[in-house]
Amino acid sequence: MSATTLFTAGRAGRRRLATRQRLGLGLLGLLLAIAWLTPWLHDADPARQQLVRILELPSLVAPLGTDHLGRDLLARTAAALRLSLGMALLSVISAAVPGILLGVIAGWRGGWVDRVLGSLADACLALPGLLLVLLLVAIAPGNFWALYVGIALVLWIEYFRVVRARTRVLVASPQLQASRLLGFGPGYLFRRHLWPELAPQVLTLAAFGAASAILAMAALGFVSVGLRPPTAELGLMMTELLPYYHEAPWAMAQPILALCLLVLSLNLLAGKDPR
Amino acid sequence: MSDSLLEVSALTIRGEGVTIAPVDFSLARGGRLTLLGETGSGKSLIAQAIMGTLPKGLSARGELTIEGDGFAAAEGAARRALWGRRLALLPQEPWHALDPTMRAGAQVAESHRYLRGLGRRRAREAALHDLAGLGLAGAEARLPGELSGGMAQRVAFAAASAGGAPIVIADEPTKGLDAPRRDAVVKLLAGTPERGGALLTITHDIEVARRLGGEVIVLRQGRVVERGPAEQLLSAPRSDYTRQLLDAEPARWPAPPPPPATAEEPVVEARGLAKWRGGRELFCDLDLSLRPGEIVGVVGPSGCGKSTLGDLLLGLAERDCGEIWRAPGQRLAFQKLYQDPPAAFSPHWTLARLLEDLVRRHRLDRDAIAPLMARLGLDPALLARRPGEISGGELQRFAILRVLLMEPRFLFADEPTSRLDPITQRDTLALLVELARERHCAVMLVSHDPALIERVCDQRLVLGGEEAERVPEDLAALAV
Repeated sequence: MSATTLFTAGRAGRRRLATRQRLGLGLLGLLLAIAWLTPWLHDADPARQQLVRILELPSLVAPLGTDHLGRDLLARTAAALRLSLGMALLSVISAAVPGILLGVIAGWRGGWVDRVLGSLADACLALPGLLLVLLLVAIAPGNFWALYVGIALVLWIEYFRVVRARTRVLVASPQLQASRLLGFGPGYLFRRHLWPELAPQVLTLAAFGAASAILAMAALGFVSVGLRPPTAELGLMMTELLPYYHEAPWAMAQPILALCLLVLSLNLLAGKDPR
Repeated sequence: MSDSLLEVSALTIRGEGVTIAPVDFSLARGGRLTLLGETGSGKSLIAQAIMGTLPKGLSARGELTIEGDGFAAAEGAARRALWGRRLALLPQEPWHALDPTMRAGAQVAESHRYLRGLGRRRAREAALHDLAGLGLAGAEARLPGELSGGMAQRVAFAAASAGGAPIVIADEPTKGLDAPRRDAVVKLLAGTPERGGALLTITHDIEVARRLGGEVIVLRQGRVVERGPAEQLLSAPRSDYTRQLLDAEPARWPAPPPPPATAEEPVVEARGLAKWRGGRELFCDLDLSLRPGEIVGVVGPSGCGKSTLGDLLLGLAERDCGEIWRAPGQRLAFQKLYQDPPAAFSPHWTLARLLEDLVRRHRLDRDAIAPLMARLGLDPALLARRPGEISGGELQRFAILRVLLMEPRFLFADEPTSRLDPITQRDTLALLVELARERHCAVMLVSHDPALIERVCDQRLVLGGEEAERVPEDLAALAV
């Protein structure tokens, strides 16, 4: 597991990125720019319908064309990207923070604490991830928060497992014992001993986690149990545009391409699979 | 030249700050050669160059003749086909070389099956025969984690030699083994030349070279310092460096000064101490007391509870029975030195940062550091490096510096020099003893070398004497 790191420490101690990771970072930067700069440069409401201009080809007025309800596709794709990225960030943070915290506690304390937390993680794993999200969405239909809590609930286990395994090894190691004998407290031990070992793996997991959160949301949107129209969301846009595939293939290609690139950039950034 | 099994001529290795000057040697049937030298002298690189497994960034030049066939040292991949069949390597720390998820018997059978092409059942029988021959009958179903260090060494030897390779290269075969196990391994290795093979041993242990006999080459910083027959070279060395190396053997250290008479209160005292582990009694009814400035040595075979005893006194482990009394009020005055210096530091921060943390945490006097560093022979420039970027000896001295800043009253030194070269070991221990006496710190020193303990310590404590792992009487005779 130590061979898979998001950042490779350079000889001079600086953190260097591999070529593929740089590529991923560049692609992600580009998508971020499209998502957040579009509202400034292109003044169009993603929800405004103009039924006289449906399925138009790209033009100066609508650079990426319009959809079946005459809504501006550039504005919609950008809005969907913003939603996906915001969602990914939110679910990664809310999965990583409890995952790391509980992982460190379980690995450090061992004993019954470890067993209880381990069983909890196993219980969450017993249900397929998407099913758990579906369950929550069924309880609160069309709610952004239900979706996000569900995805976080599925994703925290990975962080928990990785962090717990590494912490267990480190807690038993001479370096931690030496620092403890020298009178250092838990905060110091975490900062100087645990975090430098955990960070590369956690960051790799975070990049993968962001990609799977985005995919999960799009998948739910595609089967129409995620967010409700007229929200611009990648999966929802694909479902809406599917019937017009023959008339306007360029329209349907846009959410698909956006999703592909987004997931690709995050996977490139993550480096190798840590599992 | 049908007699010569391995001939190495003008072998040089170059790359990333390493240069090995041309080395020549030849090994006939029944020949044995020992490369002796300190860490960083390039002795392991020579073995890797012969096998063709040099790390990236290093390149070899020269000619190798293996059983009459010529090879260019530069083309390492060409010798891959010889592995196991004509060249066998016994790696360092064999428990790392064994597959932890595979049972001992299966690991040996695998070599028989794929190297000698035996059928599944024949390979299994051959493996059982090999293991029984090494005194491991009944161990074939065990996983490497369930074997002791000495047993793992023998399983690795069986797996490496199952292909019937006449040339055996042993890289530091006795690292971390205690004296009886070391002798058993030496006997095991000596079996190869006795059967008409050739043995190339790489070691920093002079005793191993002496017991193996044959030819010895002393290396220092990639250069051959001296070579000759073992008896002659080890009894009458011609070069200064070899003499230094021989003088660094614990048995040759100067006799210790008489312990200072002290009537002070003991720092730590134990009465009727007992500890069990895995249903086995490590020690019981142990009484001991350490006074300030006193050095107590602990000897005993691996796994006899030496480290556990120290952890009990430090309060890191729970005792099963008995009383421990520590000088009151100073929890931080009980410190420990570790066997493997890099493992005792967080590898991600510079030494300056780690020392600064310590100074801040306990509001220590910064001015005390510089003179102490000078005393320990540590260059201030080293502070800018990380623990992995300085030598083991330097890092162990940093560890000593770190604990001395805490003004310790009791120091538990758990084999602090067993991974260091003989010369570094002697200097480090001498410093430790000197500083401990000066600062009235009691030291409990663990070692598996009785000679070392005798030369350094005021008192000696022997643990688990009668429970030492039994090693078959004559392995060389059994191993045929």
